Amino acid sequence: MTSIALFVSMFLSVGSMYWGYFHAGFELASRWILFIGIFWIFSQWRHWNWVSSFVLFGFVIFSAAGLIFGFDFSWMMAGSVFALVAWDLTDFRRRLRFSAIDDDTLGMERRHLARLTLLTLIGLTLVSLALFLQIKFTFEWGVFLVIVAVFGLVQLIGWFRRQIK
Amino acid sequence: MQRFIFLSTIVYLLLLAGLVTLRGELIALAIPFLLYLLYGFYNAPEIPLLKIERRLSSEKAAPGSDILIRIIIENNGSDIEELYLEDQLSPNLSIRIGSSRHLIRLPRNSTQTVSYTLAGPRGAYTFESVSIEARDMLGLIGHKVSVLAQGQLFVFPDVRRLKSISIRPRKTRVYAGQIPARAGGTGTEFFGVREYQPGDSPRSVNWHVTARHAEALFANEFQQERVADVGIVLDARERANLFHETHSIFEHSVTAAAAIADAFISQGNRVGLLIYGSYLSWTLPGYGKIQREKILRSLARAVPGVSSVFEGLEHLSSRMFPPESQIVLVSSLVHDDLNIVVQLRARGYQVLVVSPDPIKFESSLLPPSKDVELASRIIRMERDLLIKRLKRAGVQVIEWDVSKPFDQAVGPALMRPHSQSIAYRRMS
Repeated sequence: MTSIALFVSMFLSVGSMYWGYFHAGFELASRWILFIGIFWIFSQWRHWNWVSSFVLFGFVIFSAAGLIFGFDFSWMMAGSVFALVAWDLTDFRRRLRFSAIDDDTLGMERRHLARLTLLTLIGLTLVSLALFLQIKFTFEWGVFLVIVAVFGLVQLIGWFRRQIK
Repeated sequence: MQRFIFLSTIVYLLLLAGLVTLRGELIALAIPFLLYLLYGFYNAPEIPLLKIERRLSSEKAAPGSDILIRIIIENNGSDIEELYLEDQLSPNLSIRIGSSRHLIRLPRNSTQTVSYTLAGPRGAYTFESVSIEARDMLGLIGHKVSVLAQGQLFVFPDVRRLKSISIRPRKTRVYAGQIPARAGGTGTEFFGVREYQPGDSPRSVNWHVTARHAEALFANEFQQERVADVGIVLDARERANLFHETHSIFEHSVTAAAAIADAFISQGNRVGLLIYGSYLSWTLPGYGKIQREKILRSLARAVPGVSSVFEGLEHLSSRMFPPESQIVLVSSLVHDDLNIVVQLRARGYQVLVVSPDPIKFESSLLPPSKDVELASRIIRMERDLLIKRLKRAGVQVIEWDVSKPFDQAVGPALMRPHSQSIAYRRMS
């Protein structure tokens, strides 16, 4: 069940990203996306789980670049969100390998997929809502986001320092 | 990198990119990631409060037999969406059915039992703890703890049944047994003839001798049979056991010691065990089933070891064994053991050496060649000479070709009375 969901989300992610770039006339980039997608599927077959993290990071950069260049938002968003879903399922599939035959693996898979689907739907709804409402990017919003970003970065650096110690 | 750090980095990069480029779409792109991250943090598990109990189907087992391990986990803390547990096992133990790793969901105040079956070779195994990792459903945040769940498993050596072992120590104990006591009394074996005394059974009258002496009646006397003190010495020195890289004859020595101890205890004797390896492991002498259990536990723990102090057998102190008792040395023998064993014999001990044949054992592991054959012949000559010297000193030596089962190869030889004992009986 998880493997099917994983491959479906990978296809959706690669397909959306490819179509977004292809539709915008960036054929070379879309071919690269396709090549990355094929490698990603191959890596899943070989159980190279680390590839998913690189692909997610790459697809977020592709999406951001696409949005900056003014590509269609829905394809870029779908590419990133399904990459996130695939990244999650890759790790979940890895964790499931530790389960024994008599564990309730099916129940865990069912619960995980249900919550992940719900999260994805809520995320997409929130994004759609944000775009529909067209919240203006005012100075106040900018200051608030800068504060949040700085606070987050401080937390992140602090965490890294604790890890090094 | 931890997953939540990776995801946080993406979120902050998108936020920063949105701020720098002043594009709301980039910030909107961060929303699903942020939601995912917040859900993970919201459902992050607390430090797990677990009580784990381990139950073994049996604490004693034969080599290779199945043991069912049940681990009962009780969650006294909050809900745990994903609980990964791994039982810490000795590398010598192998899992037959199931797995020592489990991934389960454990709600608050619930109990779950996981089980698996394992088997292993001879040894004493201790189970200390179970590794636990409690995670949220998305696997973002986890807590690793090690929970104490102790247990112990003894895999006893294979005990081959021997019918009896014929020994004749100079001294025996007072209790009735099966060892000839070198004293007249009630028994089954003929001891001598003495004058008939009131109370003797008329059946004991020796009519042949009485016919030659008209003045008195003579009666047969039988040898008393009692229990004896037996000290078994298991040679666990690595130099006497390890041959051809990692192959060891020690397992065979342990099998022999177990069979001998079992036979002596079954005969009612008082048996002690000394494992002579990197240190001296002494199981005090005793009788009965409990002593059998103690000896088997010691044998389960026995491992060959190296020590500069115990390189030779000179620390085999005579204080450890009652004077003039029976000593059984289970060893493949090395050339400098001769003097020590002869000294024990000279002190009045009856010494029986059961020696697994190291030459046949090692040559069976080597590829056949002329060099191997020549070397085997030379070492064989040296060993034969050593054994001859021991026998000349009155030590009973029984060699065991380990390719054959102990009870079949050595059993008949152990049942035969020692030639020295026969000579003694003839003299008396």
